Parts: sequence; structure tokens; C-alpha cells
Amino acid sequence: MDFGLNDDQRDIQGTARALVGERASAERVREHAEAGTTDTGLWKELGEIGWPGIAVAEEHGGQGLGMVELAILCEELGRAIAPVPFLPTVAAAAIIEHGGSDEQRARWLPDLAAGRAIGAVASADSADLVVGGAEADVVVLVDRSGASGAVVAAADATVEPVDAIDPTRPAARVSGGSPELLSGDVAAGVDRALVAIAAELVGVCEGSVEMTVAYVKERKQFGTPVGAFQAVSHKCAQMLLDTERARALVSQAAWCADAAPERLHEAAAMAKAAASDAGREVTSSAIQAHGGIGFTWEADVHWRYKRAQMDAVLLGGAGAHRARVAQLAAANVRSAVTA
Amino acid sequence: MDLTFSDTELAFRDELRGWLADNPAPPRPAEGGDDADFAWRRDWQRTLSDAGWAAPHWPAEFGGRGATLTQSAIYFEELGRARVPLPANVLGLLLGGPTLMVWGTDEQKDRYLPPILTGEEIWCQGFSEPGAGSDLAALQTKAVKDGDEWVVSGQKVWTSAAQWSKWCMLVTRTDGDVPKHKGLTYFLMDMEQPGVTVRPLKQITGEAEFNELFLEDVRIPDANVVGGVGNGWKVALTTLMNERAGLGFALQVRLRQYLDDLIAAADERGVLDAYAGELGELHTRCESIRLLAWKGLTDVEKYGQPGPEGSLVKWLWSDTNQRATQLAADIVGPDALTYGNDWSYELLRARGNTIEGGTTEILKNIVAERVLGLPRLKAAA
Repeated sequence: MDFGLNDDQRDIQGTARALVGERASAERVREHAEAGTTDTGLWKELGEIGWPGIAVAEEHGGQGLGMVELAILCEELGRAIAPVPFLPTVAAAAIIEHGGSDEQRARWLPDLAAGRAIGAVASADSADLVVGGAEADVVVLVDRSGASGAVVAAADATVEPVDAIDPTRPAARVSGGSPELLSGDVAAGVDRALVAIAAELVGVCEGSVEMTVAYVKERKQFGTPVGAFQAVSHKCAQMLLDTERARALVSQAAWCADAAPERLHEAAAMAKAAASDAGREVTSSAIQAHGGIGFTWEADVHWRYKRAQMDAVLLGGAGAHRARVAQLAAANVRSAVTA
Repeated sequence: MDLTFSDTELAFRDELRGWLADNPAPPRPAEGGDDADFAWRRDWQRTLSDAGWAAPHWPAEFGGRGATLTQSAIYFEELGRARVPLPANVLGLLLGGPTLMVWGTDEQKDRYLPPILTGEEIWCQGFSEPGAGSDLAALQTKAVKDGDEWVVSGQKVWTSAAQWSKWCMLVTRTDGDVPKHKGLTYFLMDMEQPGVTVRPLKQITGEAEFNELFLEDVRIPDANVVGGVGNGWKVALTTLMNERAGLGFALQVRLRQYLDDLIAAADERGVLDAYAGELGELHTRCESIRLLAWKGLTDVEKYGQPGPEGSLVKWLWSDTNQRATQLAADIVGPDALTYGNDWSYELLRARGNTIEGGTTEILKNIVAERVLGLPRLKAAA
């Protein structure tokens, strides 16, 4: 049993961390967040090096690597809150790849994999608000069960931009157009999309822990760094626990997608439930541990909180996934009894 | 990343699983209380040791199988899975033996290890004192040299299995003039001698797993010093480092079984939907405990370095176990609160989980200081 990354995966992680660290600094994120724009330069660059297609099969223009590699990129981009439509694009690509017909794959995957097209995903019953929908070329709508869905070309639809709390991922209401039903294994694609979202959340958490620990070591009150007070240090410890717990479940789910797909459905639900909760809790604690500064616009903590909130509800909140976990566990218990 | 066992590990697991299926533990005695329970676990250890399954993590030269860390974890998972009791001499097998293997003389190893394995001589751990819990190095029990013997007086507490033990891993103060971590010495104390008084400590479950240990002018031969005079802190750390190594895997499996039982209970009562959120949450937490435990273990095995998982796993497990027992009371209803069933027992017993083997507060300090590198608040003088 080995939870470590292999040499190639570690290379990917190292390259990603360096690139994202340089191109998506806190200043750049703030600049784009305040303008409500995507960093098109960075997005173009990511497309050129094939990141959006890392897990897409080579025959569809991707790199043909796995979910573990995709999760690494999601995590690194999440850690920086990079203002690029990476997550919505790879989520849409995963669902089209597994749920789409040959024609649908041929139409969308090569462009999505190369970053020439931007994707977005949304729950069909979430009143047509699509995270990242303002700039998407293709929108995948998934029903509540996660077992069926449709794909809509934005060019044919009515897209009305909406100001949502996370401006780094411009949202829109998407209506009309001509949704085409996805007839393949939509659930397999949705599970992979859930893992990608959960991986981004782990990155958001990780960055929040680092930022908060650095702050409470510096900030002094009563003549001592506030991080020495257990009311603060224990909160930081809890942030780490929540992050590591989610990370372990995301690692497992990503590995299942590549090596044990029969276990992916449950693993993805557990990962999304834990990561959604962790994202909210950890970024909330980050604001709290920063004190008054944390509540200000310029402290940059709020971008994390806002991204976490958007990801937490994307393709179902923690509660929906927890309920699914309970149903799957109950089915296992019942079959063990009858076996 | 590969979350499967190797062929060798699977073969080890299947051999043990087969043996456990062929050699079921006798049922737990219905009467006779703690003594009968302990005798039952002692017999079970004999059965295990006769088949070479009492301590697979011990090197072959001492009667073990030289099992890897992974195999040792598999061993505890399988004991949990088969719902058999842990061997009676679990403290000797997990703590005492491995400590002697590191610090003991050849004579000590030859003399003490074999009867640990068979359960012939039971071991207990004399570390905590009324005034030295989380702050273990503050302990006061004194040992004074007298010829080739030491004379020991003091009090220990939370001493599990002391009433059945032959040997006690005893940490004492042998030098009061040096900083507190430096003046300690680790002894093996014969429990069967005048001056040793064991008083069972009745806990909130009504049973007595723990004892108070009163020592009055107890004599210990110099040959029973482990690891040298004044080196007791280091030897004690070796013991403590082994404390959670394997046991956690058995506990993690038990929690999974408990949750499965609870899911079945909810299903049977038609309240699965009403409690689906909390059941799903606990199931998810339980899975993350399993993964973090395995991640911690395999990181040590592969990279020689433990990650932050050790403290996180114990913290998360104890918290989750407590939540599970509370949820059981909701699902089962007032019947869960009557004596004589597992639900009420676990509800009470679980309160100890966040205290024993390192309180959650201390674990949070460890995570904050050693993993996150946060500054330490100076303790009040």
C-alpha cells in the first residue's frame, strides 16, 4: 500500500506548484477578482501545455493520464485560487468523455482538452445558475441523481452574466439553446467531476492553513504571537485535521477512478462530502484567526472563503453526498446480512 | 499510489484469516466479571501463541514472525474483523517486549520475552501518577539505591491489568537534583512482593479496567534497570511510541463494525433516512481514519518518517467513536440507555477515548507545535 506519488506525478506537482505560484500570485488573483476577469494569458498557457486535457484520452486530444494527475493540478490551482476556468472545464470534459456519444466527444473534447473551449457544469435543478457559465462555450447539466445529463452549446443558448460571490469564476444564467441528452455513463463522469472539485477544495484548504499559520506566528497581542494561545493554535490544528481528512479521501477517490472504478461511486461521494465541509470550515476559521483584518477586503482571505462556498455547492452539497454514502453503506450492510 | 496489498501481504492476511476461521475464540464468559474475562483472554493468547500468532511483529528469534509494519497492521485489522478479543498480555506484547528489544540486556531479553509471548507473565505499565498525567516527566515516585537493590515508594494510577500482572514497567525518579526529564530511571518491578498494593479504580462504566498502584519500600534488584540509570525518559518514550502502533488498526475496524451494526439498527427501525446525514458523516469519517492510519504507517515504512497522521488519527478516532455512541442512543432510543447492552456500555466507555493515551487537548498541542510549527505558550511557573 502506498499513498505517495510516483516520480512522474511528483514532477507534475512540482512543475504545477512553481508555475502557479509564479503566475497566480496573491496580487494577480486580487487584480482579476476585482475586475471580474479570467486570466486569459495564464489560461492560454495552461492550454498550450495540455493541462485541461491531462486526463482526457489521447484519441480525443488529451494526454491520456489519470484522475490522480488531474487531482494534483486541481489542488495546485485551488491552493492559489488561480483565476482560470480550469475546474469547470475539466469537470465538463470528464462528463462528456464518459457520458457523451462519439459525436459529442468529437465535437467538444479536443477543444476542451486544448483549452480552446471553456466548459462548465451545473445541476439541472439549480435554477440554471452556472458557475463559470459567463465564459463557457459548453455547459453540462446534470440531474439530481447524477445519473443523467445533457450538454448545451452556449452559442445557441441565452447567457446572462450574474454577479456571484466568487468573481474569479464568472457565473451566468444559461437558458434555452438545444440541450442534447448524454446517453453514456454519465455517473462515471460526474463522479470524476466530483473528485476534481474535491481536489480543488483540498488545495483551497491547504493554502488557507499555510496563510493562517504564517499570520498567527507574526501577529502579536499581549506581548506574544497569537498562535501561541491554544484558542488559536487548536483552531489551526483543527484546520489541518479537516484538510488532511479530506485529502486522504480525495487521494483514495482519485486512485479508484484510475485503478478500482467499481469503488469510485462511494469514494467520490465521501471525498466531496468531506471536502465541501472542510472547505467551508477551514476558510471560515482562516478569516476568524486573522481577526478584524480577516474581514477586510484587502486581506485576501475572503477569496478563499468565496471559492470554497462555490465549490461546496457545485454538483451537490455535503448533505446530499452524505445521504448517498449512508444509502450505499446500508446497501452493503444488507447484502452482507443476506450473503 | 497503490491502495492495494502486495501478494505477500495478501498471503499473510489469508493465512491468518484462514487460521482465525478454523480456530474461533470461545464465547466470552457470561459470568464471573473482570476476572473471568481476563482468564478468557489469557486462554485465547495461549491459543494464539501456540500457533505463532501472538506477536507476529516480533522478530523470529524471539518467537514472532518478523512481520512488516503493514503485516502487523493487517494482523490487528483481522483480529478486529474476526471479532476476537485482543491477547490478554497486550501491554507486554506491544509495549514491554519491543522496549526490551531496544534497551534490554541479553539476559533481560532471554528471561522476560518468552513468558510475555505465552501470556504466562502479564505486564502492566506504571507511568502516570496522580500529579503526572499529560506532564509525565513531573512524576514523583522515588527510587533510592541501597546496595545492589533499589527501594521504591510512590503512587501510580491508570494501571491497566495491574491486578493480574507479574511485571510492571515502572518509571521512577532516581535523581531529584537534575532537570525533570533527566533524573528518571525505568525498572521492571515484580508485582508479587510486599509493599505493592493494587486498588481497582471503578470507572464510569462500573467496571475496573484500571487500578491505583501504591508502592511502599518496594525492593527492585539493580539487574532490573532497563536502559541504564538516569535514562528512563528515553526508554519510556520507546514504550510510548509503540503504544498506538498496532492497536489503532483494531480500533478502526471495531468502529466500522459498530457503524455497520448501527446502520442495520436504523434500517430495522425504519429510521435510516432520518439519520442518513449523520450516519453518512460517521461512515465517511471512519473511512478517513482508516486511510490516514494506513498513510501514516506506509509513510514510516517507505520513507522512515512519520507524517502528522499519528496524532490526527487518534484525535479523529476518539471523537468519531464518541459521536457514534451518541447517535446510537438516538437511533435505538431509551433502550440503549439500560445497563447490560453494548450500546450503553460503549456510550459510557467512549468518554475515556479522548483522555486515555494522550488527551485530545495534548494531541492538538502536538499538531500545533510539531506539525504546524506554532510557538509554544510558556506554562505558568
